Amino acid sequence: MKLGYTIIYVKNVPETVAFYEAAFGLTQRFMHESTLYAEMETGDTVLSFSAEEVIELDGLAFAPNEKSAIPAGWEICFVTEDVAAAFEKALAAGCSPVSKPHGVPWGQTISYVRDLNGCLVEIATPMNLEG
Amino acid sequence: MRLPDGYQERIYTPQQSRSVEAVWRHEELQAGRSLILPDGRCDVIVRYNADRAVVPKLVVTGPATQPYWVAFEAGDRWIGVRLRPERGGVLWGDALGAVKDQVALGAQAEALVPELAGLCVAGIREDILRQALVRFVEGRALTPEGHRAGESVRRIHLAGGRFAVTELAARAGCSTRHLNRLFGGTVGLSVKAYASLVQFHRALRLICDAGGSLSDAAFEAGYADQAHMTRAMRRFGGFVPSDIPEGLIRPDVSGGLWGNRAA
Repeated sequence: MKLGYTIIYVKNVPETVAFYEAAFGLTQRFMHESTLYAEMETGDTVLSFSAEEVIELDGLAFAPNEKSAIPAGWEICFVTEDVAAAFEKALAAGCSPVSKPHGVPWGQTISYVRDLNGCLVEIATPMNLEG
Repeated sequence: MRLPDGYQERIYTPQQSRSVEAVWRHEELQAGRSLILPDGRCDVIVRYNADRAVVPKLVVTGPATQPYWVAFEAGDRWIGVRLRPERGGVLWGDALGAVKDQVALGAQAEALVPELAGLCVAGIREDILRQALVRFVEGRALTPEGHRAGESVRRIHLAGGRFAVTELAARAGCSTRHLNRLFGGTVGLSVKAYASLVQFHRALRLICDAGGSLSDAAFEAGYADQAHMTRAMRRFGGFVPSDIPEGLIRPDVSGGLWGNRAA
């Protein structure tokens, strides 16, 4: 078994795709004609967005992601050499700041924002495992 | 979702209609009775018969929170529009807050929706009934209250009825008192009552489809324990989890969020 997808349930899939393109520089790989599902170009493990509506079909239930609510206890982390620039770009695109870029004892520079749906997103430098 | 023979429905997505959740028709070939599970919604229905001499009857239902039995004769037919939960006021106006589990029949229903009284003539065609019902519901103005309540109804469905009223109010940016008043005027039920119905329907589905035990279903549905789930089944279905009636009709209560799976 391998990790295939990270699927985030959102209120509006096309809006979220456009936001992720503007805020994090991702590109869309696929959008279903119904606009209820889309995939981003993220390599082997796909980041996808699915419309919240579809969950009741399968009897699922969850706390929907919303800016007005406490975010769920997990995050998406984007890795870049220039965290400060990526952080500014994310804010300019409409992300809300949670923690500005700062160094941590193990050597990384990290920062946190919340996306248009209130999901927690980390922007950090790569982890140097050899260090 | 499990639907009986002779029943058809077309679910409308929110993009297709802000007021109509579904248009449905049903026909019974033999006399009998069936159990209808409460879904917290209002319907406007014309009940008629394959015998064209029978004069059709108008029916308007209030938001149901209790199971009820409908008795019928051979050839009985129904065509109805199920309104979105937050649009009950279209049929009941200001009386909505006081019509939980009530059904208006005949003259009483005609007084509520006089525009539809003209449909009660023997031999009227089904396509005319369908068109008139949809047109009537669609013709009623949308209210900002209905829109705001609709946002919370959506959250309740996504969370399987598991949100506390305080959490829903926080997400809506208002007080619990305000949210309950909003629901009273648009859904005709308290927030808790509506959420409990959504939770019940999901629990029923988990029992039938999830492949686990009754206590697994109770836990996933968000009941404190299996006894609480049993109590909800008794209250909303009139049965216990270990003895769900065979052939029970489980309606699609997803709020028309998605569309008709069967379609």
